[in-house]
Amino acid sequence: MTLELHGLAKSYGGFVAVEGADLKVGRGTFLTLLGPSGSGKTTILSMIAGFTEPTSGQIFLDGREVTQEPPEKRQFGMVFQGYALFPHMTVAENVAFPLRVRGMAKAEREEKVKGALDLVQLSRFADRLPKQLSGGQQQRVALARALVFEPALLLLDEPLSALDKKLRAELQEELRALHRRIGRTFINVTHDQEEAMSLSDSVAILNHGRIIQLGAPEALYEQPRTRFVADFLGKSNFLPGTVREVTQGALGVQVGALRIRQAAGAAKAPLGASVLLSLRPEKIQVLEEGEAADNVLEARVVSWSYLGAGYSIIVDTALGPLRLAMSAWRAPFHPAEGAAIRLGWSAEAATIVEDDDVS
Amino acid sequence: MEGAYKPGWFARSTGLIVALYLVLPILIVLPVSLTDQRFLSLPRETLSLQYYRNLFSSPEWFSSILQSFWIALGSTTLAVVAGTLFAIAAWRLDRRLVNLMRALMLLPLIVPSIVYAIGLYRYFRWWDLLDRVLGVIIAHGVTAIPYVVITVSTALAAFDPRLEQAARGMGASLPQLLRWVILPRIMPGIVSGAIFAFIHSWDELVIVLFIASRDVFTLPRRIWDGINENVDPTMAAVAVLLVVFTVLLLLADLTVRKKRDS
Repeated sequence: MTLELHGLAKSYGGFVAVEGADLKVGRGTFLTLLGPSGSGKTTILSMIAGFTEPTSGQIFLDGREVTQEPPEKRQFGMVFQGYALFPHMTVAENVAFPLRVRGMAKAEREEKVKGALDLVQLSRFADRLPKQLSGGQQQRVALARALVFEPALLLLDEPLSALDKKLRAELQEELRALHRRIGRTFINVTHDQEEAMSLSDSVAILNHGRIIQLGAPEALYEQPRTRFVADFLGKSNFLPGTVREVTQGALGVQVGALRIRQAAGAAKAPLGASVLLSLRPEKIQVLEEGEAADNVLEARVVSWSYLGAGYSIIVDTALGPLRLAMSAWRAPFHPAEGAAIRLGWSAEAATIVEDDDVS
Repeated sequence: MEGAYKPGWFARSTGLIVALYLVLPILIVLPVSLTDQRFLSLPRETLSLQYYRNLFSSPEWFSSILQSFWIALGSTTLAVVAGTLFAIAAWRLDRRLVNLMRALMLLPLIVPSIVYAIGLYRYFRWWDLLDRVLGVIIAHGVTAIPYVVITVSTALAAFDPRLEQAARGMGASLPQLLRWVILPRIMPGIVSGAIFAFIHSWDELVIVLFIASRDVFTLPRRIWDGINENVDPTMAAVAVLLVVFTVLLLLADLTVRKKRDS
């Protein structure tokens, strides 16, 4: 099953919620729509499900247009934010609902319900009411209910947002395993970048109703197209500069008083162009005495915090404040406020991004 | 509620006084119904069950009880069907016209019943519904609609709209959605409305006085006539039965609400 969106847009009066989304989701893909609240991700999902009528654009399912079809005709499984389990039905009745709607015979229905509950390891709770279950269990019931009628497409609206961190991590793993096992197309909506990266084959990053970048999680993290993407997916330092030198395979970017050697993305920028460099905190090294690097910068520690696996350190430099992440195990120095250190990073560490920060 | 101010002696005692004021006139009929005298009064020498016996052996009283019961049942059915359908429609449409309709639906509650009764009298004479059980059922049913509209609307306001989305997403048609999701969710509201509609008809007098004469003699009307013509203590016995019955209905309503809230 492939799903295609062509210029899908939605506006409410003068407010544009989604601005012409184009997307192609292949069979068996786990796609996540990731963005801050108000970015239009839920509206897109709601249009795919058929609950929201698009202002313009089309939705195709295996090449057949479904834009005007009501949700009950589209037959997608959906897991709602807050689960939307029927409170007056038991777990088994909830899961049986989509089968009952289809007029399936009782014996066959019971068998399917049992299978679906086994899939999410909830067979023991078949006769309980939803309110007698924990949040994580309710979430799994919602999942079983969405999958029991074997829909080709499963839509997930912030399915894990109501759970605490540890349970969320657990269910993320279950969800990923489930996706591999049944091989259906999943479309997930979330504002949690960790969830998006750990679950998805493909992530679409949205902001202000537009899809900013679409790609595999690694590609988005390593080659963010814009400042927003680099900033939303993980953390980053941004260095605005001007290209002053173009040599074989590398640029000389003047940032303040420093000439930075930048190799990655060198083809994108001609001599004299203004560029924005995005430099991930973990790609900045703390240099030891006499150690060399492509780019070297003197810094002073302003503040730091210990996070168990590592330190997050804010330093002051000639280029302004920078954030760096340092592994705590065999750390090259013990952070202390005011400590003078030397930072270094290679010419491949930073990426050149488009400056789309309008705020 | 934790952390709230505790009520002081003033609040407690006024609360008690108001409660007594509400309950005492009802409680007084109990000793009166057990009187050993021949007129409406408190018992003097001994307690007697003679008027209860009198009530059940008298064909007039008994037929009035039956008639009131059937009328209440019929008008409750009418009010529940019309009120529930209206509440669901108003909830789904929710436009300006509907808000106007909603206000109109509550009219029988606001307009004095005597005004309503005069109007009904005119219409019913044209339609030949005067002094007919069907006429009283229609009159009581229509005036009970507001109770059902209010309780069902309240239940619908608490209905999570995502349940409807979930049901549609799973392929449910509108009738399936209504039967399997919406109706079970608002059933406590419907039952509550039905109980109020029943009580409304059960003790309604003003309208009946206008539109019934000889053939329809409901219980409240029998009491009314009794108190006008003679001061038979049987009325007190009837009143006690009425109170007991109403309290039972209200208790049923409480249980329904408790079940819904849990």
